[in-house]
Amino acid sequence: MAYTLELDRVTKAYDDFVAVDNLSFKIPEGEIFGLLGPNGAGKTSSIRMMIGITIPDSGGVSLFGQPLTRRLLDRVGYLPEERGLYKKMKIIENLVFLGQLKGLSVAESRRRSHQWLERLELGRWANSKVEELSKGMQQKAQFIAAVLHEPDFMILDEPFSGLDPASSVVLKDALLDLKKQGKTILFSTHRMDTVERLCDSICLVNQGRSVLLGSLREIKASYGRSSVQLEYEGELPLLNDPMLVANSNDFGNYVELRLAPGADAQRLLERAMRTAEIRRFEMVEPSLEEIFIDTVESTKVVTSNA
Amino acid sequence: MRNVLLIIRREYLVRVRTKAFMFFTVLMPLLVGAVVVLPSQFMLRASSTRHIVIAAADRELADSVKNQLTVLRASGEDDPMQNDGGKKNQQDFEVSVETPLSEALRQQLIGEVRNGNLDGFAWIEPDAVATRKGIYYSRGTSDFMEASLVSRALRLALSGRQLADHGFSLSQAKTLLGPVHVDTVHIDRHGANKSNGLGAFFLPFVLLLAIYMTVLIYGLYVMRSVLEEKTSRVVEVLLSSVSPMQLMAGKIIGVGAVGLTQIGIWTAAGSVLGSGSFAVAHEIIGDSMKDAHLSTPVLCLFPVFFILGYATYACLYAAIGAMVNSDEEAQQFQFPVTLPLILCMVFATAIIRDPNTPFAFWLSMFPLTSPIIMFVRVSVSMPPVWQIVASMAISLVSLYGLVWISSRIYRIGILMYGKRPTLPEILRWIRYA
Repeated sequence: MAYTLELDRVTKAYDDFVAVDNLSFKIPEGEIFGLLGPNGAGKTSSIRMMIGITIPDSGGVSLFGQPLTRRLLDRVGYLPEERGLYKKMKIIENLVFLGQLKGLSVAESRRRSHQWLERLELGRWANSKVEELSKGMQQKAQFIAAVLHEPDFMILDEPFSGLDPASSVVLKDALLDLKKQGKTILFSTHRMDTVERLCDSICLVNQGRSVLLGSLREIKASYGRSSVQLEYEGELPLLNDPMLVANSNDFGNYVELRLAPGADAQRLLERAMRTAEIRRFEMVEPSLEEIFIDTVESTKVVTSNA
Repeated sequence: MRNVLLIIRREYLVRVRTKAFMFFTVLMPLLVGAVVVLPSQFMLRASSTRHIVIAAADRELADSVKNQLTVLRASGEDDPMQNDGGKKNQQDFEVSVETPLSEALRQQLIGEVRNGNLDGFAWIEPDAVATRKGIYYSRGTSDFMEASLVSRALRLALSGRQLADHGFSLSQAKTLLGPVHVDTVHIDRHGANKSNGLGAFFLPFVLLLAIYMTVLIYGLYVMRSVLEEKTSRVVEVLLSSVSPMQLMAGKIIGVGAVGLTQIGIWTAAGSVLGSGSFAVAHEIIGDSMKDAHLSTPVLCLFPVFFILGYATYACLYAAIGAMVNSDEEAQQFQFPVTLPLILCMVFATAIIRDPNTPFAFWLSMFPLTSPIIMFVRVSVSMPPVWQIVASMAISLVSLYGLVWISSRIYRIGILMYGKRPTLPEILRWIRYA
């Protein structure tokens, strides 16, 4: 299988702080890959090494099967987490300039910019300055800058942040379109619902290390149907019983919980009915959010014990 | 290389298109022109007849002052240091004489000055010959030229009177009181040029100001531009396409090209406007401006030294822009870097007056001051060619070192957010491969 990106035991330290620690993963061609992790886990540091902004202290980065060189970056598109456009320049000027830097001619860069602006419903803002646009519009413009040169590999750091639901749909459709064309996409995000619906595989990093890696389906299957979704009214003191509940995410009248090893779901329901009115009770595969919280918390315990 | 050109082009166009650039480019020559031309125009035009009264105890003295006033008006020849009321002043005086002195007369004259019938009057007490004192009353104290004219007329009249008392004839007195001319001859390696102090000082100073301002302003533009890309995070997008080295080089060259454009426009405007305004200035101030013209070598060396000075400081400012997170932080770092530039200005007067002292020599060889000080020396009098070449060579070598250091600081600093780096951290960045 051909891999678009390969990280091989990549390590990066800033002074005494190890941002990325021995991180390895591969992204097969044509996949949507989620790079997940809490704030400060080392996501952005890893991404910077993938696009040659920084160089790993040790380990290797390969793109399209070759060791990373600047020339290969013309086939990569990058959407940084924070908006990176010239505020005083017009949208169209920003896009044409960034497109040219990726090797497009002025005319081609302009043509494609207009096309994308129309598609993302930004057409009439083409001649507005970036600072005059809302955050969501800037985000869409930033996305165009990342895909303008039709890269084979896109690295998108929090692409949906600041977007209203309608724009999110437009962007999601654009992404799926790109996937259909065989492009590879790497997401970095902590919005689990998006990842769950879009990604084929994920890598969960915490404190610079990979703590969970693999295809999303396999990961979820490995957790089994040990999760319970409960809609209720009243109190649920049983959530604090470690014999029954391994962990829980309580929203007040809705709770997702994972059963403690060996605990019985029927007993849980019985106990719950004593203190609250139960509207819905369902045993499901754990949501990615649960897996995320669970994994991050367990690795935290491990490291604090160590 | 294509990327560097693209970055240069963007930096250039964005800056040239700003209103600030057009404003500054157009305004500067106009301002200089206005400063030189307008006052002289006012002086030339304020030609309504002035009514002046000379009030003295004895008629003979009053007449003598009046005569001197007329003579001074006609010739403008008294003292080349004070020839500002000279021959080109087309103002007419109508001078009348009043005797004898009385308090009533004084009150009456004051009244007439107040209601505008009279522009001013000189009050000469009987003991003026001994005390050599007079009083000039006028509405505006700013009429200093008129007052100085009266003062000179009175001096000549009094001196003439005293000389006559000692037995000198009128013509003898005239010779004795006549002006003395001292011509200054400026000797450089190309021979002797008749020159005059004011012009020789004025022009290098204007050139110094021009190179100082442009180096400082465009250096700071580079800093702000780096900081802007850093805070707006554009730099992350750019660095996924270009190397930090290319980005920094493109930025410095692009902003520098804007500076050269501005200098070019000013030079062009200067040669058109300048000849006109210098001519007027020449009329007004007299011969002292006659040497205020640019020689070709000086004109050619201006861009060269601008580039050297600008590149030196642009590197430093780029590094600062990359190190800091906000304008406030930038200001703290800015000062130590700007200090050598400010020192250039501080020492400039001394160097223009005496461009060949060892002090001036060493300042023109010290890397951070050499482009500016050497240019000042060049504009005053051509130093030996080996010194110019040595100064440029030192600039270039130190520039190479600065580019090396700055690009290392830049490369790392541009991606560092949060707290301001400490000096040991910066040194570590430089060492970091």
